[in-house]
Amino acid sequence: MGRYFWMLGKVFTRPERHKIYIRQLFNEIEALGLNSVGIVVIISVFIGGIMTIQLAYNLVNPLYPTTIIGLGTRDTLILEFSSTMLALILAGKIGSNITSEIGSMKVTEQIDSLEIMGINSANYLILPKIVAVVFIFPFLFILSVFFGLLGGLFVGPTVGVVTVTEYIDGIRYMFVPYYITFSVIKSLVFGFLVASVPAYFGYFVQGGALEVGKASTQAVVSTNILILLFDLILTRLLLA
Amino acid sequence: MIEARNITKQFDGTTVLKNISAEFQPGQTNLIIGRSGSGKTVLLKCILGLYEADEGTIFYDGRNFTDMSQKERKNLRREVGMVFQGGALFDSLSVEQNIRFPLDMFTNFSNREKQDRVDFCLERVNIPNTNKLFPSEISGGMQKRVAIARAIALNPRYLFCDEPNSGLDPETATVIDNLIQSLTKEFNMTTIINTHDMNSVIEIGEKVLFIHQGEKCWEGSKHTILDSGNQTLEDFIFANKLYAQMKKAHTGNPR
Repeated sequence: MGRYFWMLGKVFTRPERHKIYIRQLFNEIEALGLNSVGIVVIISVFIGGIMTIQLAYNLVNPLYPTTIIGLGTRDTLILEFSSTMLALILAGKIGSNITSEIGSMKVTEQIDSLEIMGINSANYLILPKIVAVVFIFPFLFILSVFFGLLGGLFVGPTVGVVTVTEYIDGIRYMFVPYYITFSVIKSLVFGFLVASVPAYFGYFVQGGALEVGKASTQAVVSTNILILLFDLILTRLLLA
Repeated sequence: MIEARNITKQFDGTTVLKNISAEFQPGQTNLIIGRSGSGKTVLLKCILGLYEADEGTIFYDGRNFTDMSQKERKNLRREVGMVFQGGALFDSLSVEQNIRFPLDMFTNFSNREKQDRVDFCLERVNIPNTNKLFPSEISGGMQKRVAIARAIALNPRYLFCDEPNSGLDPETATVIDNLIQSLTKEFNMTTIINTHDMNSVIEIGEKVLFIHQGEKCWEGSKHTILDSGNQTLEDFIFANKLYAQMKKAHTGNPR
């Protein structure tokens, strides 16, 4: 815990060269953010479709209006799936990437090499990753909601559980804009965790390839637990 | 000149370095030798400040490195070049970008000047036209040369090499040794090389410091090392059968 905050202290200092920092930042946005768009879209479309079918089959009561299917899909996507579930999935993809990259640099003395050159290695390597992931997470969240709803719109009418009109009426019914604010706040927090926790595990790894692999696993597990813990705390603080 | 005074270092209660003092002069190749686990890498890292010595002081040309603030140390490190055992080249950068990296970070050179410096360094370590290749695309010997080129990019006053010959064939190892020695003389650097390769000692050991079980056991040069009269040092040197046979041929006594 102490080492984590010590590392963050090293990370959040003024970069050596702003030009190089900006270049690194754009590289990380591409590597960690843009390269995750595909998986986000695929997962969201499928989950949106599946959620629509599940809701339709579980709400077989004539007293319920069918618009509830669109409404349920929308709120589930906004409140939990596109922020929390997606963060858990991306913790695996982005988190293991960060740990293995920094961990490999550590065990091959590339980090020592930076330090000997007089460069703050934590700042140079980790700050662009944290900023990139925190920046890109809200966009991925919005993208996920959009494609999730699109998945429901395609699958629901295709399998005949809801009509296009009923589904669209549902997703427009009783919309609470604050839910978006709430989930964007969660995305920012989860983005920070997804970048900083794996970076910590990579930065302090010792040994060789085996230890880097173990550190990646530990990083993903720890990040997932922290995401769930912060989900609980934020939900209690911001919604209840 | 680099001076280490009474350096002691412990890890978890185990003393790894015991009261070591040594001076390393500029313009000559200073070698620290010893068995694996003898403490030579720890000594090098203490001199570099990667480990904090528990006791003792390090001086870089009279500047007390031990008492320096982090900022002062950071500034001093810009005068330091380091060649790591495995090269420690940045995998994601090409050969050219690796050498250019310290120039980008610490100089205000124009692109033309940086390119000229990169070309000069590559020329100097004798691997021209490799600019666009990545570390994974070149041999171990070439990686060492690129690491040397990167280390000298900022024209350092101090050069450190940690086992620069490990994993190299004898011929390439000799080329690397000679390259380090000629660069040391050309730029009048204070060069410290960590090695357990006796060929390097005989080739370029202008000053040799032998560390055994964390203590300075012997100090001399390549001219005196084979006749040191120090039993521990002789056990280390003549563990190599080739040297034992040479000694036998010379004196009739393998020990």
